[in-house]
Order: sequence, then structure tokens, then C-alpha cells
Amino acid sequence: MSAEIKAAVEEAIGEVRASFASHKVDVEADDQGGAFARVHDVPIGSGFMPNLSWIGFQITFQYPFADVYPHFLRSDLARANGQPLAKPLNPGSAFPLPSGAVSAVLLSRVSRNRDPLTDTAVVKLAKVIDWLRAQ
Amino acid sequence: MKAWELRLPDSLFTELKRHLFPGDGDEHGAVIAVGAAQSPRGRRLLARQLFIAEDGVDYIPGQHGYRALTANFVARVSHFCAQNRLGYLAVHCHGGRDEVGFSDVDLASHRRGYPALLDIMDGRPVGALVFAENAVAGNIWSQNGIEPLELATIVGLNHQRLYPVLPQHPTISDEIYRRQSLLFGARGQAILRGAKVGILGLGGVGSLINEWVARLGVGEIVAVDFDRVAPSNRPRLVGAAPWDTLDFLLTSRWLWLRRFGERLSRHKVRIARRVALGANPQIRYHAIVGREVDAPVAAELKDADFLFLCADSMQSRLMFNALVHQYLIPGVQIGSKVSLDPDSGDILDVFSVARPVLPEPGGGCLWCNQLISPARLQEEALPEEQRRRQAYVDDPAIEVPSVVTLNALAASAAANEFMFSLVGLHDEEGVLPGYRMAAPRARRWSKVACMAEAGCLHCGRGKKSVFARGDDAALPCRAAPTN
Repeated sequence: MSAEIKAAVEEAIGEVRASFASHKVDVEADDQGGAFARVHDVPIGSGFMPNLSWIGFQITFQYPFADVYPHFLRSDLARANGQPLAKPLNPGSAFPLPSGAVSAVLLSRVSRNRDPLTDTAVVKLAKVIDWLRAQ
Repeated sequence: MKAWELRLPDSLFTELKRHLFPGDGDEHGAVIAVGAAQSPRGRRLLARQLFIAEDGVDYIPGQHGYRALTANFVARVSHFCAQNRLGYLAVHCHGGRDEVGFSDVDLASHRRGYPALLDIMDGRPVGALVFAENAVAGNIWSQNGIEPLELATIVGLNHQRLYPVLPQHPTISDEIYRRQSLLFGARGQAILRGAKVGILGLGGVGSLINEWVARLGVGEIVAVDFDRVAPSNRPRLVGAAPWDTLDFLLTSRWLWLRRFGERLSRHKVRIARRVALGANPQIRYHAIVGREVDAPVAAELKDADFLFLCADSMQSRLMFNALVHQYLIPGVQIGSKVSLDPDSGDILDVFSVARPVLPEPGGGCLWCNQLISPARLQEEALPEEQRRRQAYVDDPAIEVPSVVTLNALAASAAANEFMFSLVGLHDEEGVLPGYRMAAPRARRWSKVACMAEAGCLHCGRGKKSVFARGDDAALPCRAAPTN
């Protein structure tokens, strides 16, 4: 089941598309007015193998008040140094797309002191990418 | 045709009154930019922003009348209103106290200027108000023609109501309310009878509020809860009886019978309705089995006079906060909490809290006071299975104690907050209520001052804020599935 995506969520998706204009961005509506988005081929730094991943997330219907988390990455993600993935990374998860769940690694990074005007979905995605590249 | 009501936040009205009645007995002017809302109950104009017309600069001797707003001022403010999808209400004052009306000169000036303003406003209301010390008259121009304003409600710690003519106060109330009307008079009882109250959540706290508000003689209640009563709720749920939970089925040794019994247990709002009608058979009661985040349910609440938030989800808090600020409806959020040490089970903290929320900066906005968790908003939107999987990553859910007498502490504070506000009997005038917190083990009540953030999307006045926008802004509802 799906529902019409709410205006604030559409606006957030537009910002993601604009910031990742050279990347494929898939969007699927959820059943409450939110949407799942997946940005493909994002460079996530040399700390991981492979170092390119899709990154998926759900923007729920009460955005911009609701946080955008967790984020999901390709299921075969591994540390370049051979160490196991540890919290906040959780392997063996699934990105729950309405069209069918996709195996994934889950990354849980809750925003503290979130400002709905400035802490947008694309800003959060940028912070997640920065965190990955710093690993 | 449905009546027009103007709702003004107390701080805006105080600033307007100070400008209109500085003590010089002269005429002064202003404009109020308004949002609008419509429901079966009537039409409301919601005061969002005040534009003071400076004497001698924006408000000058008129060509046809005593004074008039300058063309520049009208153009500037009407342009602002049009750009921001707001209505335009021109304001001036007359002498007198309890009765006021437009002069022929006023009416002639409206006929000259307002048709053009209506075009600029693109269908949004245009109107004029004239205030006396304790009265207001208004004409609202819209596509439906020219219609009078019925009343203005000032929403503050004490509510005030202004009319074109001070109404004759009722002298007698229903005999059964005689004892309580000794406190607030037949007029206060009439105010309660004319009030519509929303109660979000009919669990332990909500069921208490429901009975007390019905017993006060409130005329209309909208009660919203999706849940059914379970045996473990009964110690806290007013009016809940063993036959509401079908105990004989729930204690069956057959699982399918137990599941069947769960599905047949009575909805909490139906118990609440039974209790309210028992207390006040004349009450108009809307028992809604549902969630306030669904648009049809939210639509039933947007024309309420007061809201009680007795549900503990973040989605409910966000919806409540939006309704308060978007539709200028005061409310109170109520809760009680017992914190236990997760390892030892020792009691760490016990408190009950009543959080009044007025549509004002510093009025108790739940968002500004960090009482709406963005993370939990996101979690609550997920299906159950996904929440369980994330709980493995984040924090597991913990069952917390809940006790009827602790619920009653905060509920009674909230119910009295409502009663004194509506009938205008709070001691203090023009102050913000603050939160009230009880620490019952220490036998102490304390008042907590509230924060406000200028950029808040609910109580702020920024371009993206929904404050006083009424039907022009979207409520944080979930969309209905389309397939």
C-alpha cells in the first residue's frame, strides 16, 4: 500500500536529488505520506570495502519534526581493516522498501538537538556520509 | 450562514489594546493579519500578526472621516497579507465601553475600499473591526458578501470574550449546577455549556478528565482513542467494569477464546462516553475510535475551545502542539511517571505534571521545551516489526508503573487550569502559565518556566511557521493509503 507523499517530504526529496544530482536516486512512497529514498554509488571512504555504497533512508510523514534515521547501506559492506562491523553499524538487517525488503547494513545515528529548519534529510545524509568517511 | 469568530492571542490583544486605548480618548488604528478556519461549528479568524498604524504617519486625518489609514500603509500591509496568504482586518476604536458599532462614515469607507482589497486578497477575508473598551464589532467581507463578527475570544491564562453588545448575563443556571455556579456564576456555567473540549487519550488520565469535564457541565466532548480496555487498565480507568473486558473469555484455557475476548473488549472511548452521559445526559459526545494523526479525526478537533492531551505518544504530542498553535486553541498536556532502576527495581523518581500550552511564545510550546522527541516520532511511524528490530540496536522498551492516584494529581491540576481559564478566574492576568509539576513523595508542587525558540515552526512567527494559519497550513497528519 502507498499514500500520497506529503509536501514537506517531497521538498526533502527534492533537496536530496539536487544535492546528489549526478547520482541515481530511487523513491518509493510509504503508506502514511512519507517516502523511502535510496541514493546510489555514494563514496563512503577508504575505511570500507567496497568504498561505494547505496544509502537508503525513510522520511516519515511527520518530517521535518521527525528525525531521519536509521540509514541503510549495501549488505556486503565490510571494514577495510578486516575488523567486524560494530555499533552503530548492524549487519544482517533489511531496508524495508514497499516493493520488497533489501538486505542491508543498518547505521543508527540519532540527531541530538535537532532543528527542523536546518537539520534536513539531505543535511543528515551528509553527516552520515561524513561519519562513514571518518571511520 | 455560519457565524464568524475572531481569536486573538493574549499578547497580541494586549499590544493592540495598549495602542487603541492609551488614555487620550482619541481614535487610533491598526491592521491584524489573520489566518482562517472553517468547520460545521462556524468560521474562525485567527490573529497572526499585528501592524500598528503610527499616529500622524500611518493614521492621519481622513478626507471623508475623522481619521484614516494612509494609502501607503494599506498597500504595504495588504501586500504582506496577500504574499503570506493571510486575511486583512483593519482596526480602529471608538469611545464607550460595553457597546460599539460602525458609524455611517465607517461603513461608507468600507464600501469604497474593500472591493479592491478583496481582489488583492484573492478570496481571503477582508474586514474591519471597531473596538470599545469592552466591546468589538466587525464586518467581514468575503465571496459570500458582508457578514458580521459574532464575537472575539482572547486566548490567554484567562479567556475574555468581546461582543458588539455586552450580552445579558444569564441569572439562573440549571439547578443541578447551583453549587458550582456559586464559584463562577450562571455566566460561567453558560460558558462551560457552550464549550467544546477535545480529549486525546482515554486511558488512566483521560478517563478522569472525561468524567470531571462532563460533570462540570461542558456541552460537547470529542474523545479520541484507538485502544480497547484490558483487565490491567481497570484499576485506573473510570467506569470500566469486568464485563467491559469479558474476563470470562480472557481467562479461558483456550487461546482462541482469549484472542476472541481481546478483540471484543470494549473500546475506551465507549466507556468514556457511558461515563460522560451518566454525568451529563445533555452532553453532545463524539466517541472516536481512532488516532488524532488521521486527518478526519484532526478535523473534529480544530474548532475545539480547549484540548486535553492525555495520550503518551510523540505523534499525539506533535498533533496537539500543532492544533494549539495553528488554530489558537489552548490546551494542557498531562502525565505522570514512575522511574525505576532497571536492575534493582528501586524507585528513582515519581512525578506528575500538568503542562498548560497557550498559543504564545513562551506559552509552553511542547516543541520548544524539548518534549517532542524527533527520534521517537520517526520510530512511531514504523511498523511494529521494524520497531522491534531497531530496538535491538537502540533501547529496549520498558514497562513502567501507573497508578490512579498519581494520575489524579496531574489530571486535577489540568482540569482546574481548564475551568479557571475558561471562566476567567485565574488570579494573575497577562502572565504565562508555566508547567506545574508535583513530586508527591516530597509532598511538593513546583512551577517550571517555559522556553521559546524564535524560529519554532509552531509558536514562532517565521515565514514557515504554522502559527494562526488555520486551514491554510497542513497538520502533521498521516496520509490515507491510496491503494
